[in-house]
Order: sequence, then structure tokens, then C-alpha cells
Amino acid sequence: MKELLKNTHEAWLATLMAAFMAKNGETKHILYEFSDILFRHFTWIENDLIKRGVEYDYDRDNIPIKVTHLKIILENISSRMNDIELLSINCDDDALRHRLESDLKYMKERVLRLDDEDVSSAFSVNRKYKDIELGKEATDSLTLFLFEESYKEYELIMIYNYLKAHSSDAFLNRIFQIMIDESFFHLRSFGQMMSDMGILGVPRVLHKSLYKVESVTEFLVNGIEEEESAKEQCKELSDAVAKESPELAEFFDFINYQESYHIELMKEALQHYKMKGTNE
Amino acid sequence: MVDIDGEIIEHMANPKNYGSLDNPDAIGIGENPDNGEKVIIYLDVVESDGESPFIEDIKFQAIGCMTTVVAGSIITGEAKGIDFDTADELIAVTLGMLENVPPESAACSEMVAVALKAAMDTYYEKKNNPDIPALVYKIEQSCMPKEEDKDI
Repeated sequence: MKELLKNTHEAWLATLMAAFMAKNGETKHILYEFSDILFRHFTWIENDLIKRGVEYDYDRDNIPIKVTHLKIILENISSRMNDIELLSINCDDDALRHRLESDLKYMKERVLRLDDEDVSSAFSVNRKYKDIELGKEATDSLTLFLFEESYKEYELIMIYNYLKAHSSDAFLNRIFQIMIDESFFHLRSFGQMMSDMGILGVPRVLHKSLYKVESVTEFLVNGIEEEESAKEQCKELSDAVAKESPELAEFFDFINYQESYHIELMKEALQHYKMKGTNE
Repeated sequence: MVDIDGEIIEHMANPKNYGSLDNPDAIGIGENPDNGEKVIIYLDVVESDGESPFIEDIKFQAIGCMTTVVAGSIITGEAKGIDFDTADELIAVTLGMLENVPPESAACSEMVAVALKAAMDTYYEKKNNPDIPALVYKIEQSCMPKEEDKDI
């Protein structure tokens, strides 16, 4: 089952990256939907491990995605899904196993029927976003921001997912789910920009200490500081690109204001933990 | 800010030697006491009688910024396949170059260098005490610009 979790994690990310690369609207939409389904599988398998008291982590292998044509990664994703289907035999929960098998049977064949397209531009390092002309300094700032923040959003999805999986508190789980959904939106936005700029990369593997937190209150306190720092970075980036692209500046202001709400939610979660006097 | 070119982007998108080893011979940690950022180095070591231990494989993980990941990718790439004596020289050269590097980049590179040193020292310490935990070395550089540099 732990192998099933790891392989599903890898297939989810590979499918999400393929969605970023794809330019055909329908293909992109299907791959986004399939990546969401794989993430849901991941959370259900995780829940099954928790129910059975199995120790697990979010370790995974690095995922090579640098391809010239979409077909290459689609075949890889189909092969990954095939492996997951074989591993799902180890799942004791009949309902879950049937669901995984049925989804995978459909998806692994559907991805192979998607049209091929040249996706080499996702790795061209041309660092040009749409038709926007940015100077060297603004381009470097944007590049660094996208690498930092795409990893950060992936990290937040995984941390909040882990906290949610181990919490039975409805108040907190509502907040954790909002943070997961919001981080997904940010990850998709940044990942798409990275692909458009030819600098697409898979976020690196998380160290266990990041999500197996010893003190949730300490994590939230640090998280609030990090969100404030993320706001500052968005502001700096918005200022750096404002002269050259009001459109990009508006986008980063939009992200910046979303971080303000995250901070308030995290403060609520912190207050709730303190009132409960627990570190569940 | 670091000048970003194609080579740096390749290190950010596909950092070399990123991850952990299943049964490492030694682990070392470099830590920034200012902000808790860390680099963890894992070593597989081969040793022949009378010769300096040889780094057969090396992996790293970073709890930190992208500059740390780039430094980790570069330094572990250099450290793979060399012996401890040569690795000591690599660490000395890296630390010696830090004066000419912007503070935020200097702290990141130092964190990787001291993590490598900590892993090598852990390897030696384990000969006397196999259960010794990974050594943790703290860095001296700060990510934060010095007060007198702020207005420059």
C-alpha cells in the first residue's frame, strides 16, 4: 500500500506537469481533471493507511518530464497508471480498490488517445511570458519567484493534506481544505507561467520534518510569518514588473491579496489550537 | 540577486543529487540558526585500508530557498566520486569564496559546505559510536544584509 501511495503521488504530479505543457485546450482540461482524480486517489489511499495504522511518508522518486512531444509523457503516464492498477491488488478495501481500478482502466487508455503536440517550448528557457517585454532584472526576479513559489505551493498542499488526514476536528479541517484548494490554484497559475516561459520543473521532494510537524502551533506561527513574507515577495515582484507590464503587476497584486486571507485563516486555526490546548 | 542563466535554471529545475539514500553510511546537517533553514547531506562511503574514505554516492535535501538548492546541486556534483581529503579542499575553497558573494547566497553555500563537513565527521565518529546521530553544524554567515550595508 505504501508503494501504491508513492506511485499515485508520482502519477498525479506527472499528469499535472503534462497539463501545464499541453497547449490544446481540451487536452489540457482532461489532464487537469485526471491529475485532480489522481490526487483524490492519493488522499483515499492515505486514509486507508491511517485506518490500518501503517506508518507512511510522502517520499517519492524524482519525476523526469523534459520531453519534446506530449505523446512521450502521456505514454509514461499510462504506464504509471498500469503499475498503480497492478499495485491496487494490495488494497484490502474492496470499494476503494474497485474505484481505483475502474478510474485507472479508463484514464490509462484515454490519455493515449489524446492528440500529440510539440511541447518543447515548455523547456526552451526562453523566459518570455506571452508578448510581455521584461528587462533582465524583472525576468530574473520572475524566474526565481516562480521556482520558489511553485515549490512552496506544493509544500503547502502536502503539509495541509497531512494535517487534515490526521485531524478529526471539523473546524480545522475546513481551514485546511481551503488552504489546499487555494494552494492548488496558485500552483496551477505558477506552473502554467513556468511552462509558458520555458522553465517548467517538478517541485522537489519534501523533507519529512516539514509535514510530520512536532508542534502544529509552532508550524502555524511560522506559517503566518511565511505568508507575510510571500505577500512581501508578491509586492516586490509586482513593483518590479509594474512599469513593463501592468497586466503582470495586477496578477501578482491579486495573488498578494489572497495571501492576506490565508493569514487570517491561519490565525483562526492557531487560536483554535490554543483554545483546545492540544497539538492534535 | 543572483544572475540567472540557463545553467542556474537547469540546477533549479533538475537539481543534481536531490533526495536521500536508503541506507547511508553517514548523514550531516548544516543549519542556519537565524531562520531554521537546513541542508541534509547523505553519504555512501567506500574505504580501503590506509586510504582516505571515498564518496561513492551523495544526496542532499534542502529546507530552504532556491539558492540553497542550486548550491547543493553544484557542490554535491563536485563532491561525488572524490575522497574525503579532496572533499576537505572543496569545502575550504567554497568557504574561502564566500567573502565575495552576496550575503544571501553566501549563507546558502556555507550551509551546504558545512553539511558536507558534518556528514564526513559523522562518518568518522560512527567508527567509535555506531549509534551517534547526525552531526549538526551551524553557519556563521547571515542571510540578512548587515545594518551598515542596507542603504548601499
